Amino acid sequence: MSIFETAMLATVSVFVGAGCVTVRPEQRAVLADPIMQFQGDAREAAQRQHVIENREGSFGGSSVKGGGCGCN
Amino acid sequence: MRRSPAKPSARLVRLALLVALMSFWGIRASYAQAVELDTRVLFFHEPAKGSTMTVYTPSADLTVRPWDFLSVSAGWEADIVSGASERVKAGPLARNPDITSGASVKDTRHMARGSFTVKREVTQLTIGGSDSVENDYKSRSFNAAAKTDLFQHDTELELAYARNWDTICDAVHTANTDPTLRQPLDDSSRCFDPSAANRAERPIRTDAFQLSWSQAWTPELVTQAVLTGQLQNGLLSDPYRAVVLTAAGQFAQEHHPDNRAREALALRAAYYLRSLKGAVRVGVRGYRDTWNLWSGTVELEGEKYLLPWLRLRASGRYYNQTGAMFWSDDYTGGEPVHGPRGQYWSGDRELSPFSSFLVGGRALASWTADERRIAGIFQALQAAVGLDVLFYAYRDFTLAGRAPEDTRAYIGTLSLTALF
Repeated sequence: MSIFETAMLATVSVFVGAGCVTVRPEQRAVLADPIMQFQGDAREAAQRQHVIENREGSFGGSSVKGGGCGCN
Repeated sequence: MRRSPAKPSARLVRLALLVALMSFWGIRASYAQAVELDTRVLFFHEPAKGSTMTVYTPSADLTVRPWDFLSVSAGWEADIVSGASERVKAGPLARNPDITSGASVKDTRHMARGSFTVKREVTQLTIGGSDSVENDYKSRSFNAAAKTDLFQHDTELELAYARNWDTICDAVHTANTDPTLRQPLDDSSRCFDPSAANRAERPIRTDAFQLSWSQAWTPELVTQAVLTGQLQNGLLSDPYRAVVLTAAGQFAQEHHPDNRAREALALRAAYYLRSLKGAVRVGVRGYRDTWNLWSGTVELEGEKYLLPWLRLRASGRYYNQTGAMFWSDDYTGGEPVHGPRGQYWSGDRELSPFSSFLVGGRALASWTADERRIAGIFQALQAAVGLDVLFYAYRDFTLAGRAPEDTRAYIGTLSLTALF
């Protein structure tokens, strides 16, 4: 089995396993808190990401909104 | 080289008026349940002797939610840049190190953007676009994202796509001119002027796709996996930059491949610490592209409530990348450290092998009205101030053999968001 097939199998297994997980509605208060959000302040994250990525050769893993350059 | 501030194009003004009208219509026609005004500014400063770079990025966004299922947003953002950059990149073996003298850069980019989001019980669709213009670059973009919740909201899947139609100004090159003889663009004057005989417009097309999966595992633990792909086609080098190609000092315009395919996978986790009333967030990202540039990123953040209305965030980020396959610090010497790398050449430090480290913090205060509005006007208010410091360590990049001085940068952020 190739690395790709192994990774796909692992991903599908974890995803199917996720269906067995249940966080009850009354337990979701913490999850709804802004400090538990990965993009809690999306505009701040986008601005910071723009200036940081302008100085790196990499891209991705956060959001895709389009709009080029401002490449200073 | 001096680039003067750009005047917003007529289409940009029309777009801004259109989105403003849409927002106003949203307020008037619907007895708006909520109107949010977000204003912020980012300040970037890279101090260095002779090549200081300063960027201000102010923005304002207005979001109207006339009904629970719909929100319409319109905004404006600018990049106001002043600084200097090296016009000709020479390597340590070049005979003319003074050729790297800095050239002043002044430019302003204006961007108008808008989007609308339609929500149902477990699904959400967002369509948006933007239009931006600066002296030497125009961009028009479209983006769409669809999101759905599964398994009683514990699982969230999002599929996003963005397309850019960009145009960059370039010097005129006749079709059969060898790239080693092409000269760089001298300045941005008369860019996009159809009557300018020495100016050309080159297209850049970008398609980006993203799939993300967020999963709540316990009442305190949530994870996220994000897979991003991007395809770029067009002039992907800096038209102003030249690279010294021979020991005699002959230089030519920077020359990168016209195509680039990029992919990244990010994995994140957030865990709530009840005893501390705070959360820790960790993230890793791997990246590679068809220029054989690989990178890895590790992020660590902690955020904690000091008071019910005040929270503090501390963040750290480590980044490391290899160089692009055609990267060299000197195209005039021999392999492997110095010397030619085939048919492409670059003076771009972003394609050189380096690492960077970021430390920062942010304080955020938020107030929500109870029965009476804050100051009789606001349903909620939020203000934040942040500062990050970035350190760069270039393993190969030099300016004619000298280590660059601009290896530290500061990022300041200030924001105020009001909900009416």
